[in-house]
Amino acid sequence: MQGLAWLFAIPFLTSVILFFLPNGRHLKSLAVLFSLLPLALLIGNFDHWIGATIEYPWFPAIGIEFYLTVDSLSLVFLFLTAVIIPISLLAVRGQQLIFSSTFYGLVLLLEGLLIGFFTARDLAVFTIFWEAMLLPLYFIIALWGGPQRQAAAIKFLVYMIAGSVLMIVGVLALYFTAETSSGVGTFNLNALASVAGSSPNATWICAVFLLAFAVKTPLFPFHAWLPDAYYQAPTAGTILLSAILSKAGIYGLLRVALPLFPDVMVAWSPLLLALAIIGVLYGGMAAWMQNDYKSLIAYSSFSHVNFVLAGLFVFSQTAQEGAILQAVNHGITITALFLVAGWLQERIGTTAIGGVSGLAKFVPHLCWLTLFFVLSSVAVPGTNSFIGELLILFGVFGVNPWMAAALALTVILSVIYMLRWMQKVYFEAPGLYQEAWVDLKGREMLVALPLVLLILWIGIYPAPFLERIRPATEKTVAVEVQRFPDSLSRGSRYRSSPVCPQTVLCQSPQHLRRNSVFYFRELPVEVLP
Amino acid sequence: MTPTLTLNDFAALSPMLILLAFALILLLVESFAQEAAKRWSTAIALIGLVIAGYAAVVAPASDNPLLLPWLRFDSLARTLSVFFIVIGVATVLLSSAFFKRFDASHGEYYFLLLSAIIGLLFIGYSADFLTLFLGLETLSISLYVLCGYMKKWEHSHEAAIKYFLMGALAAAFLLYGIALIYGATGTTNFDALLPMYEGLKGTPQQTLFLAGVALVTLGLAFKAAIVPFHVWAPDVYEGAPTPVTAFMAVGTKAGAFAAFARVFLVALPNFDPIWNELIALLAFPTLIYANIVALRQVQLRRFFAYSGISHAGFLLIPLAAGNAHSLQALVFYLVVYALATLGSFAVLAFLDERSQGVMLNDLRGLFRRSPMLAAVFSLCLLTLAGIPPTAGFFAKFYVFKLAFEAGYYTLLVVGLLTTILSAYYYLRIVSVMFSEAPAETTAPQRLDSAAIVGTLAFAAIIVFSCLPAPLLTLLDLQ
Repeated sequence: MQGLAWLFAIPFLTSVILFFLPNGRHLKSLAVLFSLLPLALLIGNFDHWIGATIEYPWFPAIGIEFYLTVDSLSLVFLFLTAVIIPISLLAVRGQQLIFSSTFYGLVLLLEGLLIGFFTARDLAVFTIFWEAMLLPLYFIIALWGGPQRQAAAIKFLVYMIAGSVLMIVGVLALYFTAETSSGVGTFNLNALASVAGSSPNATWICAVFLLAFAVKTPLFPFHAWLPDAYYQAPTAGTILLSAILSKAGIYGLLRVALPLFPDVMVAWSPLLLALAIIGVLYGGMAAWMQNDYKSLIAYSSFSHVNFVLAGLFVFSQTAQEGAILQAVNHGITITALFLVAGWLQERIGTTAIGGVSGLAKFVPHLCWLTLFFVLSSVAVPGTNSFIGELLILFGVFGVNPWMAAALALTVILSVIYMLRWMQKVYFEAPGLYQEAWVDLKGREMLVALPLVLLILWIGIYPAPFLERIRPATEKTVAVEVQRFPDSLSRGSRYRSSPVCPQTVLCQSPQHLRRNSVFYFRELPVEVLP
Repeated sequence: MTPTLTLNDFAALSPMLILLAFALILLLVESFAQEAAKRWSTAIALIGLVIAGYAAVVAPASDNPLLLPWLRFDSLARTLSVFFIVIGVATVLLSSAFFKRFDASHGEYYFLLLSAIIGLLFIGYSADFLTLFLGLETLSISLYVLCGYMKKWEHSHEAAIKYFLMGALAAAFLLYGIALIYGATGTTNFDALLPMYEGLKGTPQQTLFLAGVALVTLGLAFKAAIVPFHVWAPDVYEGAPTPVTAFMAVGTKAGAFAAFARVFLVALPNFDPIWNELIALLAFPTLIYANIVALRQVQLRRFFAYSGISHAGFLLIPLAAGNAHSLQALVFYLVVYALATLGSFAVLAFLDERSQGVMLNDLRGLFRRSPMLAAVFSLCLLTLAGIPPTAGFFAKFYVFKLAFEAGYYTLLVVGLLTTILSAYYYLRIVSVMFSEAPAETTAPQRLDSAAIVGTLAFAAIIVFSCLPAPLLTLLDLQ
């Protein structure tokens, strides 16, 4: 309990300190040091985080309780946050940053809000952190972004608020559902899990939650805010947007939508899966068309996030495991890609593809590092994305082989647009040397090193990560298995699948495939602690 | 034996008496020693307000039969009095900053301001329609003059005349409504209204009573600037000098809703569902109209008029819901709204250059000229927009929860959708502050009194955003 209180409070306290310090050159090292403190706490207390809780009546008049808990799902995303934020700070050019103390303060404030978000178990607190995390990002885009930053920042914030404002109705509806069914209203997610699914309005409550999560991730077609926001944000801002903010939407789906409304989600999964796959294809095609590599990576990020969502919308444990792992992988890889893109931009002064070419001759280290991250992004075996995408494809194949084929083809698409970029910028005939084209310094290599190591570790030896992630998927699938007998007795069109004690994946009987039943149940073989 | 007023009763009345005394002192000083008035009137007004505030907190309740028919000394009265006096202190500080820039004689200004606050206090303490009316009229008449205070500004003349004429009409409607209620029940005392109404059900007098209530609602809705009785607000806010606009935006709004609370939450709680439906019907156009028109505003005083109208729409929701927590939610929302608006006006005080007040373009690049001002203004605007984690979100969430509980689902959805619009227009101002500044701008001058208001509002909002529950215990309403 103590550890969690420190983990939550430290980013806020350090952020306040940073706001009041004068702008200076040494502020960046101090900020990076402060941002590493949560990571140090997480690693130092490693085995004791699961179950850490803060429970405090925050606003009793409305019934809001400040209830934070760490479980395996939260822990995964907490680690991701704690790793990405220091790297995003390291990506900043400290000397050229105006109002640097405000910038570092805002990033640390974001870290605190994210820690609160990933551990919140009270739905009102969840909503508060869900919307609050947009504010530091709004200011980061508005103050330190590109030429059209004001318009992009407002569009970003208003779009997000528009998507999530109806969530408040959903939250209140759940509170009063709990009140009618058990006498006392509550926002507590654990208590709501048992009553939410049976509420008469479950469909539209789930719809408003889905809308909010779909806008933030973003799921196709709610992605209109993405190109401008990603493009106009500074490098650090884009890293935070793509690596962490999109994961907030995925986490929301895993924490709220799937456990509370399994029936509705299962009923909608064909539509959602279709949207996700269209999103992957759309993002890939759009990325192929881009003449600007920052936009290219932005659309690539969109495409890969929809791949993760596709893994979430099929209800198989393997696919969900893959989706959570791929969410982490995407966070790491997209951070790396935007990092090298930022370095490239500093050197050639533009984000356009085609103006400069043949840079491999002058900046070989940057070139090979970029290529390594590109290979990770296209899921070459040996890199992290391979494991994640493989698991997702495995799960999707069990549901519908044609969907899996479509998804697998998108991998080719990602290869096309990424290598097109590499080819045009690094590998064609070199032009005249410019002074700004200095190769990567040792300091920059050190910043990229943790990402390289993580990519290789997850790619070559993913077992420890998968083991940590598995408990998070147990609960979700177990909930669906419980629901299963209900749907049988209601005479729905779900047919029973035979219990297969041996394998994780059950073969669906012939008659099911003929009727195009879209889903069946998988039963976990063993329950891991 | 005829009852007389004892010392205890005077002590109970002390907030109003102290303010009256200081108001008269200000008038005397202004009449006989104009130079001294210029230097000392702010200080005298402040001292008077602080002493009255202390008196409001410690004053005992009175049980004298001379006072009880007219004034009620309960915890709501105490809370409202302290709230109004704090608003008064903030307005005095903002006025002092204003008069550093625009020279005008001050003594009678503070007299009028203190009179307005006495009017507000009467609304807070009212136990009878006549006291309520007295308080409202004292508030209004002082404000009519204050709106036109800057004699050389022509749009101030227009604003004052508009406010006076429309305000007089609304006061006439209010009085007519009171007369109809008196005709139906034979009394204007709040305590007697609900039992009398129960007796009237089914008789023709019930229609008379409901007609009276409708007219009273109209009169109060005018003061609160609720659509469609809001037409005076944008022009009057735009024309009045900035500290007077601040007082109208915060004080008059609080006074009008205090009047609503006194009459319809304390005296006549849930007396007839038709009234709750009426209020909900008023809330719809208020929310929709105000939020749409506010999108186009560039003059900031006018902008805050529409912002105030939109918040009045949100404040109608607890009145429509009418359940046990409505009063608490209403006062909580009012306090958060007051803090955020006063903080915004404190920042505007620094930028007030000409009679038209601050335009949107004056804010361009404020972050470079003065990061502190931009930070305070941004936080206040985000609080008004109701974006988490600011205290404004808690206020809106409380109100929405009441709406859901009472079954006003459409109103809730409309409220949420208009919150999106409001987020856009508040953020527009924030983004102007953070955009590039034109070349020849100077840093704003030092204005300590406005700085105090801004800093305290900023600190209070941050504290209540992290710990909203203590604010409720501070309000001490249940």
